[in-house]
Amino acid sequence: MDESLSLKPFLKETGKVSKFTIRYLSKWFLPPYEIKELIRQCYVIGYKSLPLVGLTGFIMGLVLTMQLRPFMVEYGVESRLPTIVGIAIIREIGPVITALIFAGKIGSSIGAELGSMKVTEQIDAMEVSGTNPFKYLVVSRVFATTLMLPVLAILSDAIALYGSYLGVNIKGETSFKLFWNQIFEALEFRDVLPAYIKTYFFGFAVGIIGCYKGFFCEKGTEGVGQSANASVVIASVLIFILDLLSVQITELLGFN
Amino acid sequence: MENISNSNLGKAVIEIKNVSKSFGDNHVLIDFNLTLNKKENIVVLGKSGSGKSVLIKCIIGLLKPDKGSITILGNPINDVTLTEMDKIRAKIGFLFQSNALYDSMSVRENLEFPLRRHWIKINQNQVNEMVLQALEDVGLKHTVDMMPIELSGGMRKRIALARTLILKPEIILYDEPTTGLDPITAKEIINLMITIKEKYNTASLIISHDMNCVKIASDRIVILLEGKCYAIDSYENLTKSNDPKVKQFFE
Amino acid sequence: MKKEIGNDVKLGLFVLSSILFLILLLYMIGKNKNFFGSNLKIRSRFENVQGLKAGNNVRFAGINIGTVDVVNIIDDTTLEVSMNIEDKMKDIIKANSIVSIGTDGLVGNKVINIQAVKERERHIEQNELLPSRRAIDTDEMLKTLNKTNKDIGIIAENLKNTTNKINNSHVIWDLLSDKSIPKKIHASLENINQSSNKIKTLLNHSNEIVEHVMSGNGSIGLLLYDTIMRANLFTTIENFRILGKHANEISKQISYTLDSFNNDLHNSKGTIHALLNDSLLTHKIHTSVDNIDRSSSGLNEIIDAIKQSFLFRAYFRKIEEKKTRGLK
Repeated sequence: MDESLSLKPFLKETGKVSKFTIRYLSKWFLPPYEIKELIRQCYVIGYKSLPLVGLTGFIMGLVLTMQLRPFMVEYGVESRLPTIVGIAIIREIGPVITALIFAGKIGSSIGAELGSMKVTEQIDAMEVSGTNPFKYLVVSRVFATTLMLPVLAILSDAIALYGSYLGVNIKGETSFKLFWNQIFEALEFRDVLPAYIKTYFFGFAVGIIGCYKGFFCEKGTEGVGQSANASVVIASVLIFILDLLSVQITELLGFN
Repeated sequence: MENISNSNLGKAVIEIKNVSKSFGDNHVLIDFNLTLNKKENIVVLGKSGSGKSVLIKCIIGLLKPDKGSITILGNPINDVTLTEMDKIRAKIGFLFQSNALYDSMSVRENLEFPLRRHWIKINQNQVNEMVLQALEDVGLKHTVDMMPIELSGGMRKRIALARTLILKPEIILYDEPTTGLDPITAKEIINLMITIKEKYNTASLIISHDMNCVKIASDRIVILLEGKCYAIDSYENLTKSNDPKVKQFFE
Repeated sequence: MKKEIGNDVKLGLFVLSSILFLILLLYMIGKNKNFFGSNLKIRSRFENVQGLKAGNNVRFAGINIGTVDVVNIIDDTTLEVSMNIEDKMKDIIKANSIVSIGTDGLVGNKVINIQAVKERERHIEQNELLPSRRAIDTDEMLKTLNKTNKDIGIIAENLKNTTNKINNSHVIWDLLSDKSIPKKIHASLENINQSSNKIKTLLNHSNEIVEHVMSGNGSIGLLLYDTIMRANLFTTIENFRILGKHANEISKQISYTLDSFNNDLHNSKGTIHALLNDSLLTHKIHTSVDNIDRSSSGLNEIIDAIKQSFLFRAYFRKIEEKKTRGLK
């Protein structure tokens, strides 16, 4: 990222990331399977991120509702507040905010962890110990992020909707049942499914970038910090790019 | 595993012939030759960046030589598959300069890791037994449930050594085992290396700058200069040498 | 090890809760969209479905009871809409219920409305074809409204122009304020009335004369042999003919004038329009009214001349006598 002033390093980096991705895609389904490590990574990556993701989701739902209310009142559609917030959360806010928080927390930790493993020869030690470090470290982590982000995003949606329910009830009164019905009245599969599917890609992007930056970390301890930082930045940008792509693809397929 | 350790065992465990390795224009090894015999300790001396680390990484298969052949325990490793290479690696211990203990795992998990990787069919009791045995060999049995980050540098080095020992290797490669340690701890490590050699009858290839280590641990010394094996002899003979290029290492 | 198992349990809980919520989410949507447990299908045909799509809601008396399954084109003027609705509606909706296409709110999604009719009828069956009603199409409504607005605009513009012209026109005000015209018209009409009455009596009398002649009474012999007499008779008959023509023309002229007057007053077109711009017309009206006056007095003269004619003199005298006698 630091050297992105000219186009060549950027293209070189893109090529390397693509190569790394292809390497992942061609390896992840082949044995040996690192099931135990995968589960451990799922725990670390998924479960341990829940408090953070939950908190941001809750605040997002609450704040979004409170921010939208004045305008809804102005246009005389205050009663549609749950509907509009629900759709915003399910379609966009939930997946993207969760993915960004996830990129911040997990992308950096993967980048730093693999980076320091690389610098302290742990990756070499693994190879010497009869373990394919790519499978053990990269495949398990990328797979874990790919699986866990959707899980987190769905839970974050749920928590954000609860936050929104509280936000609706700060002023005015809406029963939970009415709130619930209003949201599901307006929701359709085409709101949920593309949003759900894209979280897999977000998770994959966070994992692959973190692993790439860590796996090819250089320049000692200083490089570890750079890897962690670059992972977060690139993963976040990538999330937005993927989001743009996903909306265009769903538009193209006629699901929007 | 029987087919790997064949009859040639009595003589050379590692044979390196005409090995060359270069990174771009930097020719690190040029037609390097070396033979490590059973139960022999060879110390490789060389300046920083003279290719000592490259040499042992070529032996363990982390790097591939551009030219030449390396034979370990009678098995040429130039064109072996990854699974075959892993079988050979199971016979070699490698002590990394930076210990390379897995930060995210406890001492026990660190020691179990290579065991479970190389010997897949092994039950938990055997594993526990071997972990404790290896820790006892390095005198750190009490640290079994600690994390690497909680240990001192010397302890970590010894845990790393225990990890290489746990597979009962026939060859141990030491990458600067005493670097970054205080002289007293370094001495302890060197003594430990000798004890282990006596106990398990291993052959060792040691890369070191530490004269103490060179003096105590070496059967033969190899001086690596400009990518080539400049001299190979015992400590006594080399100290008597008049060659200035040899002398610079012993001053 | 224990800790690891604890972690696995937490991970399992974590993943399960997420999957459960996802399933709940999808189930709720599916339930709202009637994806589960509704086998009851009904159909209805329309000429135009106005953008109705599969998945749009079906409402009975305002309650969501199902969704549109598919819209099929039967032929160029018939579209068949199939709907999946809740099974329990089988015992509620009757076969004469009317289906129409409406909009949810003013600009919302299209919905199908099923409306009950207050007449006895059996309940619907599977694949029932319900009658449809052309719904109020907002598009068309707006189109019509647009056209109406334009027309109103044009009318208002015209009205404004007309009013302006009326206000600015001296002629019309002169005409309207000229009290002599109605009087004159009135007088002419009176004259015409008199003339036609006279014509009527004259014709009646002639009839009687002809009857007399036919019965061979009076001066028939003379009539037959005296050529002068015959010439006289000819002139008289000729006069009659001219009289008829004149009377015809006059009445035509009057009726035309009155008609156009009438039209002008109602349509604000034609003569009045011209009237507003053309001061000559006032003159013409004056002249024509004068003409009518004059013609009717000419008619009177002719009638008098006929009276003087020797042929009818005796007859008229007799009538005069009868009249005076009758008066006495």
